[in-house]
Amino acid sequence: MLLGKHINKYYLKYLWLYLIGIVGLIAVDWFQLLIPEYLGRIVDLFNGSEIDTAVLSEIVTGVVVVAFVLFLGRVAWRFSIFAASQKTEAGLRKTMFAKSERLPLSYYGKTKVGTVMAWFTTDLETIEEYLGWGTIMLFDAGFLTVLVIIKMINLDWVLSLVVFVPLVLIVIWGALVEKFQAKKWNERQEEFDKLYDYSRESFTGIRVIKAFICETRRLHECAKIVRKNKDANLSYARMTVVFDCIISFIIALITAIILGIGGYFVYYTVIGEPVVLFSHSVNMSAGGLITFLGYFETMIWPMMALGQIVSMRSRAKASLKRVSRFLDCEEVISPTNVLKDVKGKVEFKNFTFTYPDCETPALSDITLTIDAGQTVGVVGKVGSGKSTLVNSLLKLYPTNSDSVFIDGTDITACDTDSVRRAVSCAPQDSFLFSETLSGNIGFARDDCPQEAIEQAADFACLSGDISGFEGGYETVCGERGVTLSGGQKQRVAIARAYLCNAPILILDDSVSAVDIKTEETILANIASKRKGKTTIVVASRVSTVSRFDKIIVMNDGKVEAFASPSELMIVSPTYQKMVRLQALENEIKEANNAR
Amino acid sequence: MQDNLLSGNKPMPFGTTLKRTFRFLKPQLPRFIVAFVLILFNVAFDVAMPMIVGAVTDNLKSDSIALKVIIGFAIGYITLGGVNQIVLYILSMLLQKAGQSIVENIRMETFAHIQSLSHGQLDKMPVGSLVTRVASYTASLSDLFTNVIVSVLRNILMIVGVYGMMLYINWQLSLVMLGFIAAVAFISFGFGKVIGALFRKERQYISELNTYLNENLSGMKLIHIFNRQQYKELEFILKNENLRKARYKVVLAFGIYRPLITLISVLATAVTFWLGVKFGLTSAMIVAFYLYLSRFFNPVQNLADQLNNLQKALTASEKIYRLLDIQPEVQDTDDAEDIQEFKGDIEFKNVWFAYEGENWILKNVSFKVGAGQTCAFVGATGAGKSTILSLIVRNYEIQKGQILIDGKDITKIKIQSLRKAIGQMLQDVFLFSGSVKSNLTLDNPAFTDEEVEAACRYVSADSFINKLPEGINSELSERGENLSQGQRQLLSFARTVLHKPQILILDEATANIDTETEALINRSLEKMRNIGTMLVCAHRLSTIKRADNIIVMQHGEIVESGTHDELIAGGGYYSKLYNLQIERQ
Repeated sequence: MLLGKHINKYYLKYLWLYLIGIVGLIAVDWFQLLIPEYLGRIVDLFNGSEIDTAVLSEIVTGVVVVAFVLFLGRVAWRFSIFAASQKTEAGLRKTMFAKSERLPLSYYGKTKVGTVMAWFTTDLETIEEYLGWGTIMLFDAGFLTVLVIIKMINLDWVLSLVVFVPLVLIVIWGALVEKFQAKKWNERQEEFDKLYDYSRESFTGIRVIKAFICETRRLHECAKIVRKNKDANLSYARMTVVFDCIISFIIALITAIILGIGGYFVYYTVIGEPVVLFSHSVNMSAGGLITFLGYFETMIWPMMALGQIVSMRSRAKASLKRVSRFLDCEEVISPTNVLKDVKGKVEFKNFTFTYPDCETPALSDITLTIDAGQTVGVVGKVGSGKSTLVNSLLKLYPTNSDSVFIDGTDITACDTDSVRRAVSCAPQDSFLFSETLSGNIGFARDDCPQEAIEQAADFACLSGDISGFEGGYETVCGERGVTLSGGQKQRVAIARAYLCNAPILILDDSVSAVDIKTEETILANIASKRKGKTTIVVASRVSTVSRFDKIIVMNDGKVEAFASPSELMIVSPTYQKMVRLQALENEIKEANNAR
Repeated sequence: MQDNLLSGNKPMPFGTTLKRTFRFLKPQLPRFIVAFVLILFNVAFDVAMPMIVGAVTDNLKSDSIALKVIIGFAIGYITLGGVNQIVLYILSMLLQKAGQSIVENIRMETFAHIQSLSHGQLDKMPVGSLVTRVASYTASLSDLFTNVIVSVLRNILMIVGVYGMMLYINWQLSLVMLGFIAAVAFISFGFGKVIGALFRKERQYISELNTYLNENLSGMKLIHIFNRQQYKELEFILKNENLRKARYKVVLAFGIYRPLITLISVLATAVTFWLGVKFGLTSAMIVAFYLYLSRFFNPVQNLADQLNNLQKALTASEKIYRLLDIQPEVQDTDDAEDIQEFKGDIEFKNVWFAYEGENWILKNVSFKVGAGQTCAFVGATGAGKSTILSLIVRNYEIQKGQILIDGKDITKIKIQSLRKAIGQMLQDVFLFSGSVKSNLTLDNPAFTDEEVEAACRYVSADSFINKLPEGINSELSERGENLSQGQRQLLSFARTVLHKPQILILDEATANIDTETEALINRSLEKMRNIGTMLVCAHRLSTIKRADNIIVMQHGEIVESGTHDELIAGGGYYSKLYNLQIERQ
């Protein structure tokens, strides 16, 4: 058994399935051992005189009964135990997914998605394997061993003793095999990884290789790695083959011992002078010997399984540990104070922010107030803290209390969901899910009405593009569907954020890849459709924000200025420079167009 | 989707795949033949062993029971068992060696083949699918040689051998058994199909779930921003349950299939007991028959499994053959010359080039660069500057026109000597995992440490390399991701200088470079001009201004050319561009 706080409840929940399975296993084990007995009885039926038909039909009926019991028993344990193990796996996976959503975002900054994925896949599969096959092997091997040992001793304990000694050899051997094979397997895997990495690097860097004509040298190097792969494979194969051959030889040896010594006992029983060993006279018939041989054959697999169970368990234990560590990670606890009827006033008071695991603050000492209903632009150089400033309204990272306020309420004291309902955002990376366009635009709402989706698409100037797609709104985005251009992706993200109709809307550098004309339309839409609501637009071009109420100019994590565009031309050197550069660029563009 | 090129439109005919596989198999034929002979022995021994058990029973039941005979049989049994295992060992290792040697050859051929493909061809092939062809598909192919072929053969021999023995013991009973065998075969092949389909479904759900997980873990920020946790959880539960149900269907299929086989084989035992007695078999014959029966159903089941594996291996091999079938686009012609010394005159004569179809990247481009001159190409992204550079080294073949070096058409020059003479410094500096030195020499042992250090000094890369813990022997972490763009550029310069080129082409990096490194780069560029003719795709003013000739490109055409002063005086596109840049700096 594999115990742990996250897994124990599943044993209880699926106890009935495990019980059915175990009953099935016991039935199978019990009945399959009857076959050697029947075979022995058949042999003993031939005692020189006429064959007793009644006994024969009893035996045959017996075998038929065994056949059906085995069938039903095997069906039962396969159906029940795997149902339990797979349900446990699915349950754990579900819990893990729910957990993944409740972890703070900073967790994904520290942990790679690939690592988390491995816990969801490989580790859960390893646990499932042990819960399924592991349980089956454990009980099956356990029952069979006990049953066969009892039956063998019942038949003749002296012969049993003779057989048990080499049987122990199989167990030890089996355990050794597992251990050494695992080692060789790893060596083999390492060589394979080297080949994989080497080819990947070669094909990625093929341009350099061709430029400096080192194809031949790379090929020679590859040959060495391929050769090592071959050697590692052969070495692994040799070990497996040797182990298999030796196991088979031990089995043949034990069979020969049973035949020889057993035959010796039978001979003396037949001639009427049973061998006396340890003051016990050995009485054995030819049929008894055959039965004994049958028992021995049944014992082979449980003996070999023991070693496998041990290693399967240790693998599963390690996997469960990783999964449990994930499930035990600390979650963010949200205050219960719900933010309601938000007007859209945003305040920062001496706000300083440092990203987790960073030393220098990304924002320092920010104080400013955006009135409800204003449209505000944010400009500044790359890395000046524009995105960090607007993102801090979303409570994605823990911030100091009493520094960020919405409608005068400290957001750190508010229920996170309610804050996020008040603030909707089109993030910079415009990440889309690989589903339909309407699914992506209507992401924020369950069963979003088509009308709302179309309105949002209109707002983001996207309707024209969508009608150009064959599937319209049902066009699938991403890998398995159409590839959207950068500008289209940004506009889907804008539509998605607009659809929430939140009191505060953030567009984080959302029009950088959109052409000027479309941008104009979107800006006009902001002016008309977001009237009375707060809208914050982070921009890389000054022209985007030059007609807004106010503009925040960021420089090196600080607010350089916060004023209307005309005032900024006087007070902010950064803003002035940006405006002049832009003018020059336009000039060149015009010159080009004129050509 | 991108894989189309590699997977082809039509499946390869089965016969063709087999025939091509046989080509790789041929050198290993002696090993296979010996192995097949040994299989005969192995099967014969396996078939003989139950006979011994039967014979012992026979002796024990007979009136002339003899201890010597029994002990003799026991010794015979163990001897046969021992010899059989030795045969099995030799046989398995022979096959392993043969199989692994075949895989070694296929891997090398595939690797070499990929290296011989042109840039244009490689651009269309995702690196991942190339790697799987060298590493993974070849591995599944090895299964074919080490496992599948021999299993199929062995199972067939076992079936024939065992059934032969059964016929020998009693033909009437054996004929009855034929019914059971047919049932097992029928069920096994039938279930093989069903289970194959269920496995495919399972794999599909696994990949769907993984894609979903990957996407949602990556997009967790959005889920948080839009408060979609609960909705996503419901979606996930659906996918999770789909997978569980698909997996359970596999369990159900196996849960009926395996017990069904048990049922049939035990019923066959019952029939053997009943009819065995009726047909007047001896007890020994019944024991032997029973033992054969148990050795009989396994091979039939295995055969069904092996057919699946065979199909898998053939699919894998087909993918490899498709790749090998792609002819390298850029190859030496038979009359290509090996040239050691170039003067360095370069000429483009009415060159037209498109990566695809009629989508011309270069339209009728003609220019001349004299030996020893530096020529800078200027223009917006996508104007065709970088393309010009990659055409000179024949990364791609032009459609119309001619490219001449020292008056000789480059298609008449051996690619090797062409690329040896032309030192390329690419925009995106690719560094291999390994040390600074191995990245400069590209593992060519002919270069001494002194030469490497001299090259580094020449391009002023020594100042930062010396600051690394072990100088030129320092390992680059993560392919040099800890180096700045400028430092990587300097390493690329050093790499080129070390290889002693006669002509230089340089695609300048666009990214910002700090002022200190910028100064170093300028200094080394100035020096490198002395090496020979130099063609530069330039972004930085300082580089452009110093060029002997500036060619301004727009939309695949040359719009103006001349020296800096001439172009400024002309007041065209270049002068505007220049003025803007000045403002910016």
